[in-house]
Amino acid sequence: MAFVGQKLIKQIQTTGLKATVAQRLDDAFTRFTAGLSWNDVRGILRGDPPPKPNPRVKPHTEGFWFHIRPTFYHEAVTTLYPTFRLGLLSALFFTFEIITGIFLMIFYTPSPTYAYGNMIDILTNVPFGKFMRDLHRLGAEAMVIVVTLHMVRTFVTGSYKKPRQFTWFTGVVLLIVTLFLSFSGYLLPWDQLAFWAVTIGTSMADAVPLIGPELNLLLRGAPDIGAGGLLRFYLFHVVLFPLIGVIFVAVHYYKVVRFGISLPPEMEPVGEDNARKVPPEKRVPFLPDILTNELMYAGVAFAVLAVSAATWYSAPLEHHADPLVTPNHTVAPWYFYWLQGLLKIPHMIPFLPTSIAVEVDRFFANVFGITPKVFWGVIVGPLMFLLLFVLPYIDPNPSRRYGDRKIMLSLGALFAAVIIYLSLAGIPTGVPITGFGYVGGDPASEVGQAFIPDEGVGPVRRLPYSQYVVGSFPISADPNTGSAGLDSLIRDIHNDMEARKVRPDPLGRRLSAEATGTLEVKQIQENLRQVIITINYTDEAGNPTQFKKYTFLHAGSGYAVE
Amino acid sequence: MSIIKKIITFRPSFTLRILTGLVSMLVLLSVCTFIGLSDRTRLNVRAAQFESRAIEAGAKVYYDQCARCHGANGEGVEGLGPGLASEFFVGRIEIVRDEMQQQSIRVVVPSERLKQIGWTGSLRDYIIAVTESGIPVKTSNVWDVNHPTFGERYGGPLRGDQIRDVASFIVNYGLNPLPNDQAILPPAPGEGQAARPTPVPLTPEQEAGKQVYLAQGCAACHAIRGVGAQGAIGPNMNRMGAVAAERIASDDYKSKIQGQPPATTPEEYIRQSILYPNAYIVPQCPQGPCQANLMPRNYAQVIPPQDLDNLVAYLASLK
Repeated sequence: MAFVGQKLIKQIQTTGLKATVAQRLDDAFTRFTAGLSWNDVRGILRGDPPPKPNPRVKPHTEGFWFHIRPTFYHEAVTTLYPTFRLGLLSALFFTFEIITGIFLMIFYTPSPTYAYGNMIDILTNVPFGKFMRDLHRLGAEAMVIVVTLHMVRTFVTGSYKKPRQFTWFTGVVLLIVTLFLSFSGYLLPWDQLAFWAVTIGTSMADAVPLIGPELNLLLRGAPDIGAGGLLRFYLFHVVLFPLIGVIFVAVHYYKVVRFGISLPPEMEPVGEDNARKVPPEKRVPFLPDILTNELMYAGVAFAVLAVSAATWYSAPLEHHADPLVTPNHTVAPWYFYWLQGLLKIPHMIPFLPTSIAVEVDRFFANVFGITPKVFWGVIVGPLMFLLLFVLPYIDPNPSRRYGDRKIMLSLGALFAAVIIYLSLAGIPTGVPITGFGYVGGDPASEVGQAFIPDEGVGPVRRLPYSQYVVGSFPISADPNTGSAGLDSLIRDIHNDMEARKVRPDPLGRRLSAEATGTLEVKQIQENLRQVIITINYTDEAGNPTQFKKYTFLHAGSGYAVE
Repeated sequence: MSIIKKIITFRPSFTLRILTGLVSMLVLLSVCTFIGLSDRTRLNVRAAQFESRAIEAGAKVYYDQCARCHGANGEGVEGLGPGLASEFFVGRIEIVRDEMQQQSIRVVVPSERLKQIGWTGSLRDYIIAVTESGIPVKTSNVWDVNHPTFGERYGGPLRGDQIRDVASFIVNYGLNPLPNDQAILPPAPGEGQAARPTPVPLTPEQEAGKQVYLAQGCAACHAIRGVGAQGAIGPNMNRMGAVAAERIASDDYKSKIQGQPPATTPEEYIRQSILYPNAYIVPQCPQGPCQANLMPRNYAQVIPPQDLDNLVAYLASLK
């Protein structure tokens, strides 16, 4: 130690205290940046041209983080087109999810007894809790969109072709990891939305031929989703899938650096790959241009997420999971609507006359033991992903130019159209016009579902407590309850009922013409009312029937502001 | 097309990149600061909202599970369940809010009942405990029913969160409790101890009849003190022999079924009531007018004659 001290004292004696401190600080700074002095960084930030020899390549050889980044990009890939920075954004969102996820993990217990209470605690007792949850959920949805768009972009510009086939392959793995990460996170709040969406999802595993029940048991830890299933999904969500994600991001990114970002198709001769042959005048140095560009994207992306979460976005939390009560109109997460749409295809071979289609179904059921549901959901669905995996290996066309790829681009558009059509079919209202995929109860219960949905808010709960008047009111075009809000609600119910009397649902059912309704408001406690909608109608068999649906409304429940 | 081309070939200048990045970080920081400064109030507002929604969810549980014995308005049903909305049980509370919008319950009048039975915790905890696990030891013997165990962990139908919700709902009655004279109050501790029948040794026939009673599932609807029969759908059989004698002596007793003349002895009455439950329906039950057709009418085919004789002998012996 004496040796070090002697050196320091000698330096102070020769150059003075101020210069010594400045020099020592700069040394530390240079060690931290792996080779850039303070003046170098200042030059970078001011946009000065690099001095010669260029110190800005030093971090690329000395430090880990810059070592995994290239020292320069081709000028042609630094504009918005062709990458749209979607790969960068995917990686950013992945990081963002890890940060917000760790915050949420602190307050979460993966047990049916505590999970839902933890969610309420996060919303009502943890500073930044709701903000972080909204960010995490919004980031997850944004990540699914960005990753999908990234894949679409890669397909359109033909960047999956030689030599990047395996890069594409790992990209499809990452797409699946993203979907599964999002889906496994769905169960964790342990609310009705979570429980039933995941019940639907895992019941598909049950239908897998031969190993279905075992696979289902492995996923859920029991025949039904319970404590075991929640713990497993939690571990998938916080350990398994992120781990697979990190590994494949590493492989994927190594390939990107190894082969370079593919140039716009029109810039290179057919069958050649020039991404790594960058003439010196076309080079854009990583420091400072690419780095500042990426930091700008990161800043804008995070700011947009934060402003959204603070203003218009609110992650849903429904009632506590209840295995005994299936809410009407249960749906999978939106990015699996297409799979739910597939499950609704009634026959093995669609578009055949029904009598023949039924025979075909019977044949398949007898010979192979598979029903149309299993065929479409469990065989065709995963086959679509298989198609994505093998796409670069089966595409025989070496050209990346749009003009040479008319067939493949049309097939891609057709694939996208099919996915969109199936997604529409997956939601309860079905596809507009064709009505395919519609699931609904009889019209009276649909009125109830429209105004008092099983989950979510709906018009009855949204009308503030103070707008309700105790009493029983017939549902008519011209109500007179003494409260403008209640009058307007009753008019809305009336209009909805009248519309359902005239316009049949996609299954051809109408509300019977003489159907009448009542809205009753009862005072239950000092600050608690019950709102009951009763509809008397004639059912399809001609019997007079009564439909009744109610909800309780507390003065302070605050649905109106949601 | 030229606009699209301009957008997709856009390359922000160095200054624009630095500026946009800085502005974004500034926006991010201001959002976080804003939330950090105002989150306490919003957490409290949200906590009050979730408490309100818990009361709504609790109301649903109450009407599904509790109202049958405790009354649709918490007024109670004589012999089945005390009125939970009574000031005697629920006391009187008010809700206070501080300037941070934090909401809490202040007890104005404490529950008499908790004092009476010596519960030292809060009313809410008492409700949760009783709903969850039932009442292990009754404090009085005036009513025949025991509180069932509703908690999932004791074999009941309700999850912990549902029980907490229903407790919130019942405590909320305290804002405007029913006056004690408009509700059914629970019997005081120790009351009814003397009313317990002295056990009389049963004859072998009567003992066999008791086994028939349990084997045929009578206990599911008709309670008998001390034999593990706790059903509350039909009237209790505690004093059946005496009741049958009173019934046939009363003025408005008659049989409504043709070919079944009114009974003349308690034994006949009991036998007729088992085989032809609708022969005579008592007009008034604790929960309103008594209903016909509740009891199965196939016991003539189900119970062998010897068993039926024993059963009648057993029930007639209860006085």
